[in-house]
Amino acid sequence: MLKINNIKIDVNTNNGLFGAFHTFKSGLNIVRGNNTSGKSSLFQAIVYALGFEELIGGRFEKTMQSVLKDQVEYPKNTFHSVLQSFVLLEIENTNGDIITIRRFVQNPNRKSQLIDVYFGSLSANDSLESRPMFIHDNGGASDENYGFHLYLEEFLNWELPKVLTNKGELRKIYVQQIASSFIIEQKSGWSDFFATMPIYGLNNKEARIVEFILDMDVYGNKMKKQELGISKRILENDWLNLNKRFERFTEKGGGKLIGLSQYPMIINNLEEINILLSKDETDHSISNYLDLVINEFDTLNLIETVSVKDKVGDNENLIVKNEEKLNQISFDVEMISSELTFDQQKLSNFNYQLENLNEDLRKNKGAFKVQKMGAEIDLKVSENNCPSCNQEINDSLLPLSVKQVPMRLDDNIDFLSAQIKMLQVNIESLESKIISKDKKLKNLRGLQNNLRSQIRELKKELTSDDRLPSIVDIEYRLNLKKRIEFYSKYLEDFTELKDELSLLSIKWKKILEDQEKLKKDTFSVNDIDKLKSLTDNFKSLLSKFNYSSKTINDIAISDENYLPLAKKPNDNLVYNIRFDSSASDFVRSIWAYTCSLYKTSSAKNGNHPNLLMFDEPKQQDLSINDFTNFLKELSTYKSAQTLLFASFENSDETFSKATDGIEFHLNYINEKLIKPVE
Amino acid sequence: MELYAEKITFSKKPISIPPEYRPSYSIALIVLILKICCQGSKSSLLKLHLINWALKSNENKDSLKKFVLSNYTESSKTWGIEPSLNRALNYSVHEEICSIENGKYILLEKGEIFFSKIVENPEFLNEEIDFLNFLGKRKITDNRIDSIFKKWKSQNA
Repeated sequence: MLKINNIKIDVNTNNGLFGAFHTFKSGLNIVRGNNTSGKSSLFQAIVYALGFEELIGGRFEKTMQSVLKDQVEYPKNTFHSVLQSFVLLEIENTNGDIITIRRFVQNPNRKSQLIDVYFGSLSANDSLESRPMFIHDNGGASDENYGFHLYLEEFLNWELPKVLTNKGELRKIYVQQIASSFIIEQKSGWSDFFATMPIYGLNNKEARIVEFILDMDVYGNKMKKQELGISKRILENDWLNLNKRFERFTEKGGGKLIGLSQYPMIINNLEEINILLSKDETDHSISNYLDLVINEFDTLNLIETVSVKDKVGDNENLIVKNEEKLNQISFDVEMISSELTFDQQKLSNFNYQLENLNEDLRKNKGAFKVQKMGAEIDLKVSENNCPSCNQEINDSLLPLSVKQVPMRLDDNIDFLSAQIKMLQVNIESLESKIISKDKKLKNLRGLQNNLRSQIRELKKELTSDDRLPSIVDIEYRLNLKKRIEFYSKYLEDFTELKDELSLLSIKWKKILEDQEKLKKDTFSVNDIDKLKSLTDNFKSLLSKFNYSSKTINDIAISDENYLPLAKKPNDNLVYNIRFDSSASDFVRSIWAYTCSLYKTSSAKNGNHPNLLMFDEPKQQDLSINDFTNFLKELSTYKSAQTLLFASFENSDETFSKATDGIEFHLNYINEKLIKPVE
Repeated sequence: MELYAEKITFSKKPISIPPEYRPSYSIALIVLILKICCQGSKSSLLKLHLINWALKSNENKDSLKKFVLSNYTESSKTWGIEPSLNRALNYSVHEEICSIENGKYILLEKGEIFFSKIVENPEFLNEEIDFLNFLGKRKITDNRIDSIFKKWKSQNA
């Protein structure tokens, strides 16, 4: 259990000490304050003291409102600048142990990754021992001695599970990630379930958090599942590579690949995968094509060779046609080769520029280094001051009359690195352009040569003896023979490639089977019970809060990530509840989900810290009636602590109406949160 | 004509400048040249300018290398005089890294310390140091520079 006893904020300004102090009790605490009174600053200060400020969208003091780090406005339109400020937060665990956390927001001499932990209640006893701890630093969550979140984990008696990251490493869940399940922040917290959770490369993070909160047995099986997911990814990669090899192979034979998808699939019939080769404007599979060619060759061999005389007319026509083609191709060759020369020139220019930039970058890094060394031996120029007159010198040797401000050295290094990156991208794309043009050019030249020799042969034939057999004809036969040899070998190689494919297909099938099996026996009896309880709680709360976008019966909790799903009526299609809920109903479902996580955990002995924090839960013009129902529900959580921050539309009437007949502890922010301290 | 904007303001953005214009880099080069290439860590202004010019680019380095390797017969190019080096020298004198004696720059104790710090961990300055080591203390002497200088004078006379 995590209970917040009180919070104290101290802000030293140039006009004296300002601050705030609030105490909280078990059960429902309402923090009421008008808009701009500083209600959210209080919420954020609590989150900050616990080191959870990533839920507000960032790290360190920059996430805090300006009243804690820049200036205090009190009374209206009178400003005092902040010299130093900190938050003191007193929290208690299940055993009744109390610690007080102190974290600075503004302090020129202290880093905000430092937290002081006092072992006890500082408000009751101000001579307590304290210990500095680190947060968000490398090792913030794993350093045995000084990591605050590791300490917090122990304090809460949590044992955070290790989970697999996207990279396949085992790592602990972070406390901040779990916090997103019970702390709902105002600006983005109402936009989705666990909307503010930091990612940290965690797979399916929502599911891991729910499993931890409800203390489910599913964890071990989930690990297997994740491992399976990784081997799936590897296989997908192998498949893609093989697919590429198939494509290259197809290109070599000048055909068209059919039947192979880019993504893994179970292939029952390997014959479906084939390469189509075209002959006489129809496509044929490799073996059919081979049959056709062999057939043609055999029939040609049967008939007698044609003599030159019979072919004169045909040959003349062919020559004209071929010459036309040759002209077109020669023109293309001319065009492309001049483009290519231009591109190559450009590339060598780029490379020269890149070389210069790299040299510049190296020298700049050197300069940066010696600047630091210079500072070590107290060179004034290293601190940008003139050694004789102490005036600022701008870190440059340019004459003073040049009125330009040079970049700082480190900025200059970044600037150059960015330029280099840009140039590298340019070079890469230019190179690939050159390669493809080169290929095209070679191709065209090949065609050119072919046509020329054909024309030559034809002409030669026209001038030769009429009675001789046609050379063109003979050459055609030779050509056929060559083709038969090539495609026989091609067919063999293709079969080998297909064997590799079938191996991958078998592996893929195994993975799918394993996956299916895991799905079946993932959940233990306890887990099923917990999930049922979560679903029941969620549904009953939805109807209590007057959710009306869907009938409650069509709503379920996903087995995969434990988030609410909506089902299409008369259909088995399910999807995220968000897509079919009105804006206000979606807020209701976040209320219901957050509450049911707590309720289920509390009934089934889960790991929920029994703390709920909501900032401005009355979003989207929700009716007061439903809001009252929400407050009523929260007020029944006697063994938990709820901190609810709301403005009640800045009206006393709304407030008394909404809280009518509800038991709660009130913290009223009168006027402003941060006020002068007497 | 109608103006779309009532007021246009320009703000000056910092610009990128070559590392040779950074005081710390130039001072580091001065220290390296004096220590590695000069007998008694002592040099004339002209020699500092020559070597500093050579370090500016690979082309310059190659040209000086060629001149030395050809046994000083290859027609020597003219080299540039960089005002920024003069400013860096002024800073060095006031930082007490070097001082002027009889018109020559001589390395002081603080400069020696700076030198040892740089050589301990040269990293990005290795190329400069390698080139200076190639030159050494004997290849480019003040006499040599004087004779080149005289040659120019007679050519231009």
